[in-house]
Amino acid sequence: MSEATAAVKNAKISVRDLKKSFGSNEVLKGLDVDIAEGEVVCVIGPSGSGKSTFLRCLNKLEDITAGTVTVNGYDLTDAKVDLNTVRQNIGMVFQHFNLFPHMSVIQNIMMAPVELKKLDKTAGRAKAMQLLERVGLAEKADARPASLSGGQKQRVAIARALAMNPGIMLFDEATSALDPEMVGEVLQVIRDLAAEGMTMVVVTHEMGFAREVADRVIFMDGGYICEEGTPEAIFTNAQQPRLQEFLAKVL
Amino acid sequence: MLRLPPLRRRSGGKFAALAALFTVVFMLLGMGGASALSLSAPASLNTAVQHADVKGKKFAIATDTTFAPFEFRDGSGNLVGIDMDLLNAIAKNQGFEVDIKSLGFDAALQALQSNQVAGVIAGMSITDERKNVFDFSDPYFDSGVQMAVGKNDQDIKTYADLKGKTVTAKRGSEGETFANSIKGEYGFTVKALADSATMYDDVKAGNSVAVFDDYPVLAYGVSQNNGLKIVTDKEQGSSYGFAVNKGQNADLLEAFNTGLTELKANGQYDAILDKYLAKTEATEQGGFFQLVKDSFPALMKGLWLTMVATVLSLVIALVIGVLFGFFKVAESKILRAIATVYVSIFRGTPLLVQAFFFYFGLPQMTGQPIDVLTAGVLTLSLNAGAYMTEIVRGGIQSVDPGQLEASRSLGLGYVTSMRRVVVPQAVKIMTPSFINQFVITLKDTSLLAVIGFAELTYQGQQIYASNFRTGETLLIVAALYFIVISILTQLSNVLDRKFNK
Repeated sequence: MSEATAAVKNAKISVRDLKKSFGSNEVLKGLDVDIAEGEVVCVIGPSGSGKSTFLRCLNKLEDITAGTVTVNGYDLTDAKVDLNTVRQNIGMVFQHFNLFPHMSVIQNIMMAPVELKKLDKTAGRAKAMQLLERVGLAEKADARPASLSGGQKQRVAIARALAMNPGIMLFDEATSALDPEMVGEVLQVIRDLAAEGMTMVVVTHEMGFAREVADRVIFMDGGYICEEGTPEAIFTNAQQPRLQEFLAKVL
Repeated sequence: MLRLPPLRRRSGGKFAALAALFTVVFMLLGMGGASALSLSAPASLNTAVQHADVKGKKFAIATDTTFAPFEFRDGSGNLVGIDMDLLNAIAKNQGFEVDIKSLGFDAALQALQSNQVAGVIAGMSITDERKNVFDFSDPYFDSGVQMAVGKNDQDIKTYADLKGKTVTAKRGSEGETFANSIKGEYGFTVKALADSATMYDDVKAGNSVAVFDDYPVLAYGVSQNNGLKIVTDKEQGSSYGFAVNKGQNADLLEAFNTGLTELKANGQYDAILDKYLAKTEATEQGGFFQLVKDSFPALMKGLWLTMVATVLSLVIALVIGVLFGFFKVAESKILRAIATVYVSIFRGTPLLVQAFFFYFGLPQMTGQPIDVLTAGVLTLSLNAGAYMTEIVRGGIQSVDPGQLEASRSLGLGYVTSMRRVVVPQAVKIMTPSFINQFVITLKDTSLLAVIGFAELTYQGQQIYASNFRTGETLLIVAALYFIVISILTQLSNVLDRKFNK
């Protein structure tokens, strides 16, 4: 908890001049964001605007080219910081679920806490059952992921991400790969989490959802944060022409 | 390798290789010079004239691997032949003991020169060149070149009938020298081949009309129904002798000569020669099933070594493959480079070259002898390891990268993530390739026959080198491979289905 966090007091996540390039292609061109504890931030923007890359920099699944990302006071760009410890406090949900196909549903969820010696097997199983009940899938505990529907898979993935009791949750287009009739069940789980005061960064194409649950909406375009503000301001009072254009297309 | 000037026979590179191998094997057998020459042994009873100096001593004597009828292995794998019977009889007569080292012809001579054995008996012609290096016994056998043709060939009876035809002879042998010396006069072509069995097959197949070879070798082949008949008298006789290093082991040499004289006097000598060269009707060979039965013990020994080499090689290859496979997918450029170089070298060179290298190249460069099984397993495991590396790499890379990301995002380390998430999925993908590599490696063990590893193919070669039933013997060998591979493949598939549902 050193000078890196000085900028904003009690920010869970603090991003300063974040740049990310893939080879010669600069995807993020200098981002500054602070996210407070308990805040729900939705990130919207056209494809290729860099929103997923931005999210993946928050737990350093992507190497950071320049700038700093500070999470819970740990500067992820500092080689001395143990990424595994930091990541245990950041749950992530992927567009394509990424469930482990060779494990049952409950094994998917209990693996990390048991493997990291946070819980013994019995406690891990109990905790996993609790989480499965929470996402409404207790009866699927011993099923293989392959036998689940997309919506069910994503709810299991959320339960898995919650198994380490993270203080922060990242959602990377969590409903984009779902059939429309399954989007609702997943959004409901996320909505519940938001209501419980979880700090969340949600990359989404669901504008209605963003408007409903977000404390703040960030609009990204071309590797920059183009505009940010309350849902109200973003969706009803867009300032930037590019945001207006984007909203015109998607709404 | 050190080689002598052109000898009675054999000068092909294959034999130089064999020589080197056997030298290596032999050194590993722990025959230090001194200990090989005079091991104390209990004095034996005997009645004849004996040389007190050799009595009760044990001598290491080197010989060839297969030079029927002088030395070759019978159906049960025992070394027999004129040289062997003669040497044993003389040893018994003179009250010393022998420890036979079957090394191959060139290797035997080198072992003698380096004092690792006391003497060599290997159907070796006494020549002036050799006399510079060795002391020879009295000649114990008079050889000479003869010509043989197909059993049913009525056209070729004399050299004059060869006009415009092709004949065959063993590379580097006196037969070849003789054939070349008269080919101008009679107008035929000489084709040199590597060993007796191949030459006889060449004549039977009609590629050559006649073969020139040492008379005892030909006579033995005919007696074994090799499908030929001898049509000319002996030419250019040369004599075979027992050799010791020049100026050394004079007692042994003298004992050999005395014993030889005694055997000739008491009729044992003729009995031994008759046993292998009798000009009686060719011995009737049994049918195919008799051959199966006779060759079974030797082939089973070979099959066992094949399995041992396969299993050892695969276990090591698996370890190598996993290690380098992970190097290949590592973030470190250095690790990736190491793995890539390794794979390129072992996939980019023939297995046979690798085998030769590990058998003789490496020992020569390091001075560190290596035994045949070790070298064979080293070759196969490093070779298979390269393919395993690629199988492991391919397996890991075919697992969706999202799997590793999901695991890492939970705070699990790289190693744990690989172990719990990626590897179990990769193994499932890799299993069919593993089974495939298993079969390939099992078959590749047959290549080790050329450097004298006594596995299944080698045993088969040994068998048809003495009975000349090449086709049938190879059929049996092939059938054994087929059966074993089929069983193991089935077994692997069952295991695959059971564990990789």
